[in-house]
Amino acid sequence: MVEFPELFQVPLAEWVDAVMSWVLTNWGAAFDAVGDVILFALLRVEWLLLWLPWVVVVVGVGVVAWRAMRRWVAGLLMAGFLVLIGSFGHWDLAMMTLAIIFAAVMISLAIGIPTGIVMARSNSVEAIIRPVLDAMQTMPSFVYLIPALMLFGLGKVPAVFATIIYAVPPVIRLTNVGIRQVPSSVVEAARAFGSSSRQILFEVQLPLAVPSIMVGINQTTMMALAMVVIASMIGAKGLGMEVLLAINRIQIGKGFEAGLCIVLLAILIDRVTHALAARQEYAVTS
Amino acid sequence: MQNNTPTPNGGVCVEVRELWKVFGANAEQLLRSDRRSATKESILEETGCVVALRDLSFEVQRGEFFVIMGLSGSGKSTLIRCVLRLVEPTAGRILINGEDVCAYDEAQLMELRRHTTSMVFQQFGLFPHRSVLDNVAYGLKVRGVEKEERYARAREVIGKVGLREWESYPPSALSGGMQQRVGIARALATEPEILLMDEPFSGLDPLIRRQMQDELVELQAEVQKTIVFVTHDLHEALKLGGRIAIMRDGEIIQIGTPEEVITAPGDAYVREFVQDASPAKVLTAGTIMEQPNVLLYEWQGPKAALHILKTTGLDNVFLVARRGRLLGLVTVDRLAELIKKKGTSVKQALEPDMLTCTTDMIVEDLFPLAASTTYPIAVVDDKGKFVGEIHISTVLSTMIQKKEEEQEEREEKEEKEAMKADG
Ligand SMILES: Nc1ncnc2c1ncn2[C@@H]1O[C@H](COP(=O)(O)OP(=O)(O)O)[C@@H](O)[C@H]1O
Ligand SMILES: [Mg+2]
Repeated sequence: MVEFPELFQVPLAEWVDAVMSWVLTNWGAAFDAVGDVILFALLRVEWLLLWLPWVVVVVGVGVVAWRAMRRWVAGLLMAGFLVLIGSFGHWDLAMMTLAIIFAAVMISLAIGIPTGIVMARSNSVEAIIRPVLDAMQTMPSFVYLIPALMLFGLGKVPAVFATIIYAVPPVIRLTNVGIRQVPSSVVEAARAFGSSSRQILFEVQLPLAVPSIMVGINQTTMMALAMVVIASMIGAKGLGMEVLLAINRIQIGKGFEAGLCIVLLAILIDRVTHALAARQEYAVTS
Repeated sequence: MQNNTPTPNGGVCVEVRELWKVFGANAEQLLRSDRRSATKESILEETGCVVALRDLSFEVQRGEFFVIMGLSGSGKSTLIRCVLRLVEPTAGRILINGEDVCAYDEAQLMELRRHTTSMVFQQFGLFPHRSVLDNVAYGLKVRGVEKEERYARAREVIGKVGLREWESYPPSALSGGMQQRVGIARALATEPEILLMDEPFSGLDPLIRRQMQDELVELQAEVQKTIVFVTHDLHEALKLGGRIAIMRDGEIIQIGTPEEVITAPGDAYVREFVQDASPAKVLTAGTIMEQPNVLLYEWQGPKAALHILKTTGLDNVFLVARRGRLLGLVTVDRLAELIKKKGTSVKQALEPDMLTCTTDMIVEDLFPLAASTTYPIAVVDDKGKFVGEIHISTVLSTMIQKKEEEQEEREEKEEKEAMKADG
């Protein structure tokens, strides 16, 4: 009774394989299409970031950071981070990582914001989606690598796919919350003046949800960055893979360098999107 | 000044027939059963449904100032929202200009809300992310009016409510009273036929509230809308209402003019409501005052003044300075004397016994004043500006209503005591 009985075995692996092969034969075209969209977005962003001269990127990021945080010191610091990354010889890898984050965040927003809107407008949809989001956020991130691998194999596309799945919950959640916390008295007033539900959404609910959505975008971006590092395990080239290789070869210094680059990117992205989110609170249109 | 009579310029504007609103599951089923006649409490206990409106029927005339009054929770907000179907009625009919709103589809409803009606809310319901100008222009925007046209119209209305310098600020930069002015301007910008106002002044402090009431009365005299106005404040209802509907627990207890409501309360509930509100105690100088036919200005000569008095057949008239500041009362006799003495300034013909009071003075307190003079009493605001006059007869007639009530009460008491003595 020490060892688990060999007779009692659940062949789950075989079942999953069977399901997957069924999915791939019957839905293959759909996943190919999804893969194509992801690849298209990714390659465009990657091409652009690698094509741009580094000076342009550094100055551009510096200016955006300065405008967003309203302090030129901050802009200078953020530009300095990028220069430091370049000085480690990791410029191209950093741009590849940024490209994956960018593509994944864009697609996440394209999926997440409409989903959040639908969720906010229907209690039953919310009741279905909310537990799914809760479950997604409690799972460890590398779990998402498995379906990505199964559907898309190794490479960049599954990396972006896994990143999207991992990073999309905050923006859905905060779009939903942002719309729902618009005071009902304001929505009622809009209704009383004959707004269509479209007008209520675009004139009142979404503008008032913008601060919340911006926080969602910030969180989604940060989660995308975290996932990109892990996604290097399934073949996404970039800083994450550099860390992974350095660990495998026990090259502590190189690993440290690449890791520091990731940290610098994280601070950069977080501060800029955070500042952009905070600024929304005070915006009044006229 | 007051607008207590419905302007008879044509027919029924809003008609409510046997309207029910029940919140909760199976509301319709409840209405089909005969339990519908049970009390609100027992229905809530049995079924969990809240009967907010019970079998209401009334009409609002075009151009009328119709006030719905009742305590908190009596269903006023629900009623006014049902008219626009912001809350769906459970049963009954609502006709606006003869058309059944309950039969409208979504597009027709939007059309109605865009063109025929406007609403003002207790919590203002302003758009916090928009400037005052964009708030006021909102109704025109959803209607699809071009930017320039809607801004021009919005600016016009903003000017009317006195917020010209504030148009580019967000509502949060404004005080409560100013925010509600924005709410009113937003409602007026679409030039609606019907204005629905749900306790628009309840959140404001008393001084601002009174001022806004006065402005609303003036505005109504100017624009002549059909107004349905909700309040829980009897004084406000009496001041503004052409007719008042009194609600309790989702039912209308009484509909009548302010005078009718006060002098002939429909039942014990209404009587309790208006108990402290015998006219003399409720009405203020501001509400019973009248506008004089003629005023004299200090720069007018004595002869011109006498001529004005003679041609209008008056014995006396109030004299005001620049900006309407009250100087005193001029009588025909004193004027004639002055002219005989070849005086040059009308100010030399002032009657020393003139009395003044402020707009918020209670009529009851005016009584001793009224008894001591034969001239009208001048009403001034807190800056000394002349705003109206009160005739002794008005004070007396309001007082007499009170005396009659007291008389009745005394008689009732005496009867009871007599019966006790007998028994
Ligand atoms: N959405 C709702 N669901 C359930 N009950 C409601 C709802 N709205 C109002 N009520 C109930 O209907 C009654 C009338 O409310 P309301 O019209 O707001 O009164 P008022 O405006 O006179 O204070 C109250 O008993 C209230 O609790
Ligand atoms: Mg209410």
